[in-house]
Amino acid sequence: MDAITRSGAASARRLTLRLAGLMLLLVMACLASLMLGAGDVGPVRALAVLAGQGDAEARFVLGSLRLPRTLIGLVVGLSLGVAGALLQAVTRNPLAEPGLLGVSAGAAFAVALALLLGATATTLRVGVAQLGAMVGCLCVLGVARFSGAGNDPVRLVLAGAALTGLLLSLTSLLLLFDQRAADEIRFWIVGSLAGRRLEHLVAILPSLLLAGGLVIAVARPLAALALGERVASGLGHRPGLIRLLVIVVVALLVGAATATAGPIAFIGLVVPFAARALAGPDIRRTLWFCLPLGPLMVITADIVSRLLVAPSEMPLGVITALCGAPVLVAVVRARRMPSL
Amino acid sequence: MWREVSAESQARQRPGTERCERGAGDIVAPPGHWRLAWQAAGGSLPYSLLIDRRAFVAALILLLALLTASLAYLAMGSSPLPPQAVPAALVGRGDMMAVFLVQELRLPRLAAACLTGAAFGVAGCLMQTLARNRLATPGIIGIDNGATAFAVASVIGLGVSLAPPAMALAGATTAAALTFGLAAGGGVRGYRFIVAGIGVGAVFGAITQLLLAKVHIDTANAAYPWTVGSLNARPAGAVMLLAVGLSLGLGAALWLTRALSLMRFSDAVASGLGLRVARRRWQVLAVSVLLTGLAVAVAGPVGLIGLIGPEIARSLSSPRGVPVVASALAGALVMVLADLAGRILLSPIEIPVGIVTAVVGGPWLLWILLRPASRNLA
Repeated sequence: MDAITRSGAASARRLTLRLAGLMLLLVMACLASLMLGAGDVGPVRALAVLAGQGDAEARFVLGSLRLPRTLIGLVVGLSLGVAGALLQAVTRNPLAEPGLLGVSAGAAFAVALALLLGATATTLRVGVAQLGAMVGCLCVLGVARFSGAGNDPVRLVLAGAALTGLLLSLTSLLLLFDQRAADEIRFWIVGSLAGRRLEHLVAILPSLLLAGGLVIAVARPLAALALGERVASGLGHRPGLIRLLVIVVVALLVGAATATAGPIAFIGLVVPFAARALAGPDIRRTLWFCLPLGPLMVITADIVSRLLVAPSEMPLGVITALCGAPVLVAVVRARRMPSL
Repeated sequence: MWREVSAESQARQRPGTERCERGAGDIVAPPGHWRLAWQAAGGSLPYSLLIDRRAFVAALILLLALLTASLAYLAMGSSPLPPQAVPAALVGRGDMMAVFLVQELRLPRLAAACLTGAAFGVAGCLMQTLARNRLATPGIIGIDNGATAFAVASVIGLGVSLAPPAMALAGATTAAALTFGLAAGGGVRGYRFIVAGIGVGAVFGAITQLLLAKVHIDTANAAYPWTVGSLNARPAGAVMLLAVGLSLGLGAALWLTRALSLMRFSDAVASGLGLRVARRRWQVLAVSVLLTGLAVAVAGPVGLIGLIGPEIARSLSSPRGVPVVASALAGALVMVLADLAGRILLSPIEIPVGIVTAVVGGPWLLWILLRPASRNLA
């Protein structure tokens, strides 16, 4: 008994150390994101601004361009990483990723539809995207459950890929109807952090706070659900309610992230994958590790997308796909599909 | 191989010990087939050809439908012609305007649509048979995306007219090698292979985006319709090359038909029946990759044709054989109809054919994937 507690304490200490290391990395990434860019405000001038001095141009670049971008990257990464971990836990499927299952595509389609019907306000866009994400989520999970494909991780991903392809082509079809909407949406639909302002961030904060509260409430029952439906209901939880709540949270998070940065795939796959490798299968610990890992990945990808083809920009989804697709292949290639 | 055996002789002879008779008269076709036999001049053995009746009828129906659709394709558009004026315009008679519309504008595009559709259809049919899975079409396992990425690279970087087809072929080969190499642990069976292909396709899609991000916005805008699949900007050299490639590929596929229908069994059974499974598999893969690469060089990734075409062909023709010809015809038919719809639905604007097929084929794909019944090809 004593030995168990001691080893438990040791492993807890190790996990805390890892988490602290990740936080440090994240802080460094944020600083790098402030200092590096396509323009001619280099690290030295940026450091001067951070120290409280610096010229007006550098101050403007840092304060109005790079800072919002970094903050939005932080929030988007947080949302997508946590959403991926939750979706994977609730479907017990290591491949369940909001971008792959058509949740992001649902949000994008809803936003395109709303723009076509004449909506412009930022808040409306967030709500619409969340609604679309909800519909996409319910669609793929409901259909998979109904047809029994939910038990087969790979078939679920295929269904999601089919749904994503369908929704993306419907979105392009909508954009053909209306040149104004197409111009307004073109920079958003490819998925990027460029040119986002702080108002966008403010618009999504309330729903993110709500989602955070729900995550705290649902984490413990979700860990019980990992032991199986019967065990969970034996422990006094209600599996149906937990699932519904998780889907609501995922829709809130993915909708908010998509409304801000456009549809970005593979973050929700790579981040929980890395978090599980670092923290083990318990969802309560995995979620803690997703908190720094998601922003770390998004901000790093954003820095790369700025620098690789400077002075022009690259869609964020390009970098995430280049990192994420190998992870997808690795998970699929594993001899025994790891089940959650 | 099939002989009519009278009841009397059947009673006399034990199975497997029949005398081998070579007469042309006493051979009848097995049920559901026509047998064409002819005596070669001077040769001692008669040649004969067995034609599956239902497959023949299916091909005939598809051919008629394709001809009708082509007529509609030539007649309809932003300035419609009466259908009876189309044949006259085809041979150069009638109104000058109609002749110009049909011969210069619509006929080349129709030819490109037929060729690409047929190539995608055959490639899909071959790949499905190879993987024994109806979802394993070149578009889904990432070969289309590989070809697109390489072709975009050549459009941006080189600008030589013959380069895109060659680069598209190289891309298709690379993507196929990657997908099959990555899936080698689990074999080509099952859904894991396909998800590995989706991953490969995602990487190549990202590379395409990356390449487009590097160039000037006008070049990128010009390349955009092509990356979703469109017949609008088709390089003439690529079409010619596709015509040559399709005739070669279709011939090879017909030559492989027998092997293909054996490959639907498990490897052990197929090699027990005398098939060199590994060698035939390479050949089938090579033909499929060739057709996909050349077709992508013309029309971009319109991969869902490779799913829909063979599906239609299979539901029309008999389950005995692998419907190569019917797949080609059905692919061409779907492509022509989809491009026609894309041209006339939102008339001043043209919908890229890739979007039309995705909107039509997406639900179909979902249905195949999610319906509870047996999902296997064989």
